[in-house]
Amino acid sequence: MFQAMGVHGPTLSPLASLLLDVVLLGCAFWLLAKPTKRPIFDSLFMLSLVLSVSLLRVVMQPIPNVQPVTVAALLVGAQLGARRGAAFAVLVAMISNIFIGDGWWTVFQAAGWASIAIAGSRLSLVTSTGFNLGRACMASLVAAFWFDFIVSFSILDGTIGFTEFIVYLGHGLPFDFLHMVGNLTFVIWMGGWFTQLLEEESSIEEIKFAVVNSHGIDG
Amino acid sequence: MLRRLIALLFVTLLLVPPIAAQENPTTWNETNSLSWEYDFEAGYISTSPLFDGERILVRTSGQSEPAVTAFDVSGNKIWQHTNNASTNNDMSPLLYVQAGQGQCGSWPEMVLVGWTSGLVEALNSSNGDVLWSTQSEVLGWGVTGQFALDGEFVLVPTRQGIGQYCLADGQQQWWTQTGLGWRNGVTVGETGYFLGDESGQLWHVDRTGIATPHALELGKIRHAPLLTDAGILIHGQADSGSTLAIFNPVNATLLQQIPAGHSPAIPLLRGDYVVTGDSSAIRILQCSSLCVVVDEIPFHTNGEIGWFDDGQILAPSNTLESNWGLFTFDGQENLTYSPIDVGLHGYGTAAPLQFSVGTTTFTVFGNDQGVVRAYSNLGEEQTVPADDFDWGVQGLIFVMFVLLGSSSAFLLSGKREWFLRTSSMLLLILMLLIIPDLSSQWSKAFDKQFPETSSSEEWNEQWPDAWLGTQIVIFELNGEEHSIGGLVGHDDVLSLTQSACEKLDFDLTGESTEFGWYVDSIDGIGGEGWEFSIDGSKGIISADHSDVTTTSIVRWTPV
Repeated sequence: MFQAMGVHGPTLSPLASLLLDVVLLGCAFWLLAKPTKRPIFDSLFMLSLVLSVSLLRVVMQPIPNVQPVTVAALLVGAQLGARRGAAFAVLVAMISNIFIGDGWWTVFQAAGWASIAIAGSRLSLVTSTGFNLGRACMASLVAAFWFDFIVSFSILDGTIGFTEFIVYLGHGLPFDFLHMVGNLTFVIWMGGWFTQLLEEESSIEEIKFAVVNSHGIDG
Repeated sequence: MLRRLIALLFVTLLLVPPIAAQENPTTWNETNSLSWEYDFEAGYISTSPLFDGERILVRTSGQSEPAVTAFDVSGNKIWQHTNNASTNNDMSPLLYVQAGQGQCGSWPEMVLVGWTSGLVEALNSSNGDVLWSTQSEVLGWGVTGQFALDGEFVLVPTRQGIGQYCLADGQQQWWTQTGLGWRNGVTVGETGYFLGDESGQLWHVDRTGIATPHALELGKIRHAPLLTDAGILIHGQADSGSTLAIFNPVNATLLQQIPAGHSPAIPLLRGDYVVTGDSSAIRILQCSSLCVVVDEIPFHTNGEIGWFDDGQILAPSNTLESNWGLFTFDGQENLTYSPIDVGLHGYGTAAPLQFSVGTTTFTVFGNDQGVVRAYSNLGEEQTVPADDFDWGVQGLIFVMFVLLGSSSAFLLSGKREWFLRTSSMLLLILMLLIIPDLSSQWSKAFDKQFPETSSSEEWNEQWPDAWLGTQIVIFELNGEEHSIGGLVGHDDVLSLTQSACEKLDFDLTGESTEFGWYVDSIDGIGGEGWEFSIDGSKGIISADHSDVTTTSIVRWTPV
C-alpha cells in the first residue's frame, strides 16, 4: 500500500498547504490544551518526545516502510491517553514531513497515526502488572496494516477508480508486511523501555482518579 | 522438546552457507578475468558480437552510434563502419559468410549487416569496406530479423516480406510480401523458408518465392522458427503472456501449446533440445516426437540467449539492475543457474559471444549502455582469489549469523524476551534484504492476475502513421506536449522512457531506490516529481516495475 512511486495524490497550492498545516497544528494544540492545564515540564517533555521521534523517522527514512512512529503513537496513546497520543501523532507527522516531504499525504499520515494512538489508549497495553508485550505485538501488527491502509487513500484524486485502488493496495502488500515486521521489532526491543519512559508522566486516568479521590475525601 | 527442535533448526540454518559454498567451489567469475573493455559512450548493443576468426565485430545502434566496429582479440579498434541513416535500435544479428562461389559469381569472406534504415550491406570483415549493398522497404523500420544462408543466397527478412539475394553481388532474385515483421528471423528448411510476422502468421515461402501463410493466432512471432523433430516450434508473444507451440506444416495443425511468460526471448535449438526464455523463466525442452519441458528456472530475459559448445547457456537479464545468468544443463533433466557479474549492469538483450583462440576461451558481453567487456578463461590452475572483499556485506552476514546463533542460545536457555529480540531483528534484516526482489516479483504476479483493462489514451491524428502499432511516449513540459513514437521492444516504462528521452535529446535523471527507479527530472524539469500513465491508467508502481505492451502510450506529467 505504500509503494507510491508514480502516484502523488492531488497537488496542493501554497495556500492550500498553509491552510492544511494550520488546521493540523490547530488540532494538535486543541488536543493538548483541552484536558487540563499542564505544567511547563509536561510541555517540554512532550516537545522533546515529538522532536526525538520525528528525528528518528527522518533518520530511518531511507529504510523502506520501517516506521518507528507507528509503535511510538501506539505506546504514547497507551500511556498518555488518546488526546495527547493523537496530538503527538499529528505533530510528528507535520514536523518530520518538513524534512521528508510535505503534501496532501500528511493529513492521512497524521490521521493514521492519531487513530492508532487512540486505539492504543483503549487496548490496555499497559496494566497494573506492567507492559503487556503479547498484546502490544498484536496491536503493532494490526497498526501497521491499518496505517498503510489509511495512507493509501491519499492517492485518490478523482482519477483513480475503485479497481485501480484495489490493485494499488495489492501491490503494496510486501511493504505492509515489512512495516509489520518493523513494528514487531520495535515493540520487542523498545516497547518496555519506552512505556517506562512515559510512565514518569501521570496518565489522564490517574489524574482523574486522584482528582475524584480528593473530592471524595473533601466531601 | 519443541524448543530444542526449533533451536536445532536455527543451528542447521547456520550450516547452510558453508555447505552451499562447498558445492560450488569454482564460479564463472573465479575462472574468467576481464581482458579488456571498450566504452562506445553512446548507443545500444542489442545483438551478439561476432567473431570472424580474427576480429570481434560489435554492432551498436541508436541515433548516436549506428555502426559496426571491429576489434582484435586484445581490444584494439581496427575499423568502424557507420550508417547514420539508421536511427533506430539495430537488432538484426550480424552474419558471417565464408568465401565461396555460385552461379551469381564468387564472393570473399564477409559480414552481412541489416539496418533499420532498410539497407542490407555486405562488409569486408578485414577492413569494413562495403562489398555490395541493397535497399529494402521501410515502414517506420526496415530490417530487424535474422538472415539465413541457403547455398549461394542470403535470405533477408525485410519489414514486410522476405527477399532472396545473391551472396556474390547482392542481386535480388525475388522478393515476396508477407506480413509486417519485427525480429522476423528466417529459417531454412527442406521445402523452403519459414518466418513469422506481427499478426501471428507463420509464413512458408518456397525457393521460388511463393508464400503461404498459416494463421496461428498465438500472438506476434519475433524469432526464426525452430525446426524440431516434433514440428516447427514457435514462441508466440501476446499481451497477456506467451505460448510455446508446435506446428505441423504438412497438415497445418497446431500439435502442442504450452503457456509461458511475457515478452519471449529468441529460442535456440541444439539437437533435440530447445532453450526458451521470457520475463518469467528460462526453460529447456526436449523435442523428439513431442516437446516436453525438461526443466525451468525463474529468470527475466527477453532478447538473445547464448548457448555454447561446452553446454553452458548465458543470458542477459533484461532488468534495470541486473547482470547475466549462467545456466548449465546436465544433458538429462537438470538445469542449474548461477548469476555472474561481468560489471555491466542494466538492461540487456544481446547474447554474449564465445570463441577460443589457442587454449584461451574468450567471452564478450555488450549491453544497452554501449559498453563491451571481453573476459578470458584463466583455467583452474591460474585461478586467483577474489580480492573484492565487501566489508559491508560480510559484516551484515556476520551480524545475521550472530543473531541466528543468539536466537538458538536464548531459546534453549529459556530467555524468551531475548529470543524474541534477536529473532525479530533477524527477520527484519532478512525482510529488508529480500523486499526489492519480493515486491518486484509480487507486482508482476499481481499484474498477471489482475491485468489492467482500461484504456483512455487516444491516438493523436497528427502523429505519423509510422507510429501505428508501436510504443509512444508523451512528455508534458511547460504546458506543451512532446511526443515520440515508433519505439519498439521495450518491456517497461523506464526502458521506454529512456529510449524516448534519447530520441528527443532530453536529459533524464533519477535514482534507484528500494521502491524502484524514481525519476527526478526530465529535460531539466524536476519540480515535485513526475508521474506517468500507461494507456490512460495512472502508474501505481515505479517505472522500472511497470510493464508496457507493444502498443502502449505512456504519458509523463510533472506533479
